[in-house]
Amino acid sequence: MEIKKDILWRVYLIFLGIVVFSLVILGKAIYIQQAEGSYWIGLSDSLHLQYREMDADRGTIYSEDGSMLSSSIPFFDIRIDFAADGLREKNGKRFNTYVDSLSASLAGMFHDKPAKTYAKELKAAYKKKERYYLLKRNVSFRQYQEIREFPLVNQGRNKSGFIFEDKEKRMAPYGLLANRTIGLSREYVDESGKTISKNVGLEKAYDSLLKGVTGKRLVRRISGGSYVPIEGSEIEPINGKDILTTIDVNIQDITEQALMKMMISNEAEHGTAIVMEVKTGKIKAIANLGRQSDGSYFEDMNYAVTKSEPGSTFKLVTMLSVLEDGYVHLNDKVNIEGGVWRVGTRTVYDSEQRGLFDVTVKQAFELSSNVGMAKLMTQYYYRQPQSFLNHLYRLRLDTLTGLNLPGETKPVIPTPKSKYWSAPTLPWMGFGYNLSLTPMHTLMIYNAIANNGKMMKPYLVNAIMKDGKIIEEYEPTTLVESVCKESTLVQLKECLEGVVTNGTAKALQQPLYDFAGKTGTALVANGTRGYADHIYQSSFAGYFPATDPQYSCIVVIKNKPHARVYYGGAVAGPVFREIADKLYSRNTAAHQLYAITEKTDSNFYAWSGWKADYEQVFNSMKKNFRDSAKGSEWTNVVNNDFQPTARELAISKQAMPAVQGMGLKDAIFLLENMKLKVVVRGRGKVKAQSVTAGAKVNKGQVVVLELGA
Amino acid sequence: MSVRKPEISKGIDWVLFWIYFILVCIGIVSIFAATYRNENILQGFISFRTDYGKQALFFVFSLILGTVILLTDSKFFTATANLFYAFGILLLLLVFPFHTEVKGTESIIRFSGFQIQPAEICKIFVNLALAKYLSRVETDFSKLRSQLIATALVLTPAVISIMQKETGLALVYFSFFLVMYREGLPSAVLVIGFSLAALVIATLLLDPNHLAIFLTIIALATIYFLRKQIRRNRELLVLIGAIWLVCVGIQRFAVPFFFNKVLKPYQVQRIYATVGRDFKVDPKTMTEEDIKKIEEKKKASSYNVRQSKIAIGSGGFMGKGLLKGTQTRYDFVPEQRTDFIFCTVGEGFGFAGSTVLLMLYLFMLFRIIFIAERQRSTFSRCYAYGVAAVIFFHVMINIGMTVGLVPVIGIPLPFMSYGGTALITFTILVFILIRLDADRQMVLR
Repeated sequence: MEIKKDILWRVYLIFLGIVVFSLVILGKAIYIQQAEGSYWIGLSDSLHLQYREMDADRGTIYSEDGSMLSSSIPFFDIRIDFAADGLREKNGKRFNTYVDSLSASLAGMFHDKPAKTYAKELKAAYKKKERYYLLKRNVSFRQYQEIREFPLVNQGRNKSGFIFEDKEKRMAPYGLLANRTIGLSREYVDESGKTISKNVGLEKAYDSLLKGVTGKRLVRRISGGSYVPIEGSEIEPINGKDILTTIDVNIQDITEQALMKMMISNEAEHGTAIVMEVKTGKIKAIANLGRQSDGSYFEDMNYAVTKSEPGSTFKLVTMLSVLEDGYVHLNDKVNIEGGVWRVGTRTVYDSEQRGLFDVTVKQAFELSSNVGMAKLMTQYYYRQPQSFLNHLYRLRLDTLTGLNLPGETKPVIPTPKSKYWSAPTLPWMGFGYNLSLTPMHTLMIYNAIANNGKMMKPYLVNAIMKDGKIIEEYEPTTLVESVCKESTLVQLKECLEGVVTNGTAKALQQPLYDFAGKTGTALVANGTRGYADHIYQSSFAGYFPATDPQYSCIVVIKNKPHARVYYGGAVAGPVFREIADKLYSRNTAAHQLYAITEKTDSNFYAWSGWKADYEQVFNSMKKNFRDSAKGSEWTNVVNNDFQPTARELAISKQAMPAVQGMGLKDAIFLLENMKLKVVVRGRGKVKAQSVTAGAKVNKGQVVVLELGA
Repeated sequence: MSVRKPEISKGIDWVLFWIYFILVCIGIVSIFAATYRNENILQGFISFRTDYGKQALFFVFSLILGTVILLTDSKFFTATANLFYAFGILLLLLVFPFHTEVKGTESIIRFSGFQIQPAEICKIFVNLALAKYLSRVETDFSKLRSQLIATALVLTPAVISIMQKETGLALVYFSFFLVMYREGLPSAVLVIGFSLAALVIATLLLDPNHLAIFLTIIALATIYFLRKQIRRNRELLVLIGAIWLVCVGIQRFAVPFFFNKVLKPYQVQRIYATVGRDFKVDPKTMTEEDIKKIEEKKKASSYNVRQSKIAIGSGGFMGKGLLKGTQTRYDFVPEQRTDFIFCTVGEGFGFAGSTVLLMLYLFMLFRIIFIAERQRSTFSRCYAYGVAAVIFFHVMINIGMTVGLVPVIGIPLPFMSYGGTALITFTILVFILIRLDADRQMVLR
């Protein structure tokens, strides 16, 4: 029995050994899972999980007529992973087969290097097994599409190793046009290596709307260095909203050109020109040009909303005050002392010395006499400066204009309590010194006079759109219902017209239409050098046509030191005239927005739409109709010999269809299928369309439809 | 004509069969979990292009093979055992002229689309041959000569395997000592073996001088405790002295010699990595290429184990669920579907799943030993023990490797790892056992 016992003992030992070993392994597994579990989980996550941002598409800035002013365009960086398995398998058979044809294709597309050089570089990178070889930066979408069809590349990412990294670039299709106002959206890398987007202008003001919301998603690294998104973890990016501005590309172009011409011929330092729609306060054009070190001009700063001493254009406010307070009438006399008048320790000079003494108040304004204005101020407000200042406050010259543009500077109006207030302060204010305003403020006042006393808030944004639908619309806002009495208004208008007919702007007069305005020539201080450099700021503010004002406009140009020509009437005036001329010839009365407007009379009708719908209507009404549109999907039903006739309506993918007479459902279906953005006004059938039928349209273009009975 | 009903189901141990069946199914599911890439699942299975589809195909093939084995007469195995052994050795030798190098191993023969690993299959033949030898009437296993012959039988394929750079598979053959132990190999051999192993591990872990002092203390303590016996028998003192001398010799000279001259540097590194120590690269004795190789292997093996630990560790108690495991789903664990298949279970089903799986293996082992002990014939018993030993060794080394207990030795997890040869080998092992067990009333010679 000894043997049996021995064997039994051995069997038990084997059992025991197995159990012990199992327990050890189990123990270790428990240890890893329970005791070290969180460590391993953490390690796993930190190694393989990360949040990736998904950029939202930045919105587009449109002009009022739907042209793109600023939009995002995709660009691509092309890189090659030379360690891609497919590329290297079988000793690089694939690479070697295609490298020459690929090089030839690349050379053929970019024309920057001969095919041989490409092949050489590719081979060198292949040899080094570069994993992130930069082939080309900033390739356009079109090129990108072509490259994807190149030999080797068309075999896909795994076989070719090609990596396309897309990014967005902001483009302004109209170039310089209103560049500063539309703004820039640029990315730059700061000292710490972080990428920061820097925006100016509308891009900045509406950045939060334009940029959308960056999406996020959790990605997991998988072997091979690529990432896969984890399902359900995505926060989809919300694309930016589009902004429909009030800017009219044509007016903007005219304004920019006119200003540019004068800037160049006069070598001026910087200048701005703004055109405002009188009735609404819409900014139709805003140009800002600054001289660059190389002598060219660029939209480098928004001078339109940068404050400076307004000069003579401000005399309108002086006139408004004395007339409103009833101190003078236009025909009252004022002695302008031949253009030189000593007040206290300082002397007031007229900028254009004419040697006149006794003139009427109106003449003093027309001739832009500083002495005249200083005298009026001294005479009526010296003891009660506050009542003059109250006029300024009423004209809202103590606040920002409310134009939503970053960088607008607040006007500075001195008060008697200020320590800088002295005896000459008030008289000098009378002709636009000792206070500073932005050109936009001055324009607001002139616009209010043109608009029969109603001061409108200037604005640049008509609407905010999302996916082609308007989600927020901005209406004209009245700031001050009436800036002065009716009688004052009449006299002020007379004065402004007088400047053109008799005064400093007489040279600008022309027979076709009337305009009204005021010149300004102000000596401006040049930093610490004071007024010694004889830098003049020439300006002209006014409106046209004088009888039924449609647009108001201000031009402010800061001349170079010792400029030969510096009078407002000679520098800013011609710019104003050119803008006015061109706008007048464009027919200031009507917008060009509606290309075709149908006139309706009793027996005229034109309905368009989906043909099957019309057939159904006619059939169910048991009404005969002539079908001359066999096989066509869309139809245009018109009266032909007192019988409705369905004519064929040609619809092409590239050209704007004639949607007049259609129901909104049909029109929207058609246009949105063409990727157009539709803005609808009114109710009923489509009465007018902003783009002529047959015109070529681009994706994303805005089409305004007016509906009506 | 009397119709002889081929009652193949008679006497079959269904318990063992079902454990086998379940394990292979878990294996296929795990391979599926590790390799599934959002393709059509049904198509994946039917097309046999995916790994799980292929494994399923191997399974079907294995079942057919198993049925064939069950239809075979038990005597066939005893009769042909030696022949098979010779065939196995021949196959192993054929590897040398005809091998194809696949992933660093030189143990694979490829012909017409198939590839087989003789070292893997040879386990069956060795087991049969060993059982045959031990069950011979003329074998007296208490004799040293028999013990040496048995050892030679077992270790010949092991040596050939080592020559084919398949250290892992070679180690498996050592598991047959368990059979020999059951059949009467002196305990002293195992005791000495284990002590030796302990000494080697201690050598790796401890500072040589500390270990020498420690060994000396043990020797002195032994002398103190056995002082009465020593007084009676002086030779005992000499024996203790000799053992001490041998131990210190091994520790001071043999192990360093073995590590520096015999083993490849990367193997040494792997062993060091397992005990948690960094292998010091000696620029004097190694070529630059060696050092580079070590660094690569160091990275690879520690990476494997780390990824495997992340997988098992992040499974938690209940696991992340099938296909939810992130480690195993995205190819982080190298050899995921083959040697590291346990990770999939660990990550997907957590501690609970791992325990269940281990219990399943444990149950299978006990079942096999239980079967072994109910055999009337020594051949069947030895064979059964061989199967148990091989499976035990594979499971322990494989899982031990994934949890970082033993060095990374590339051997598969029985029934579960992806790979046709391994699955078929284990199937044959198990089904021959089932067949033999069905005839347990017979005395096979």
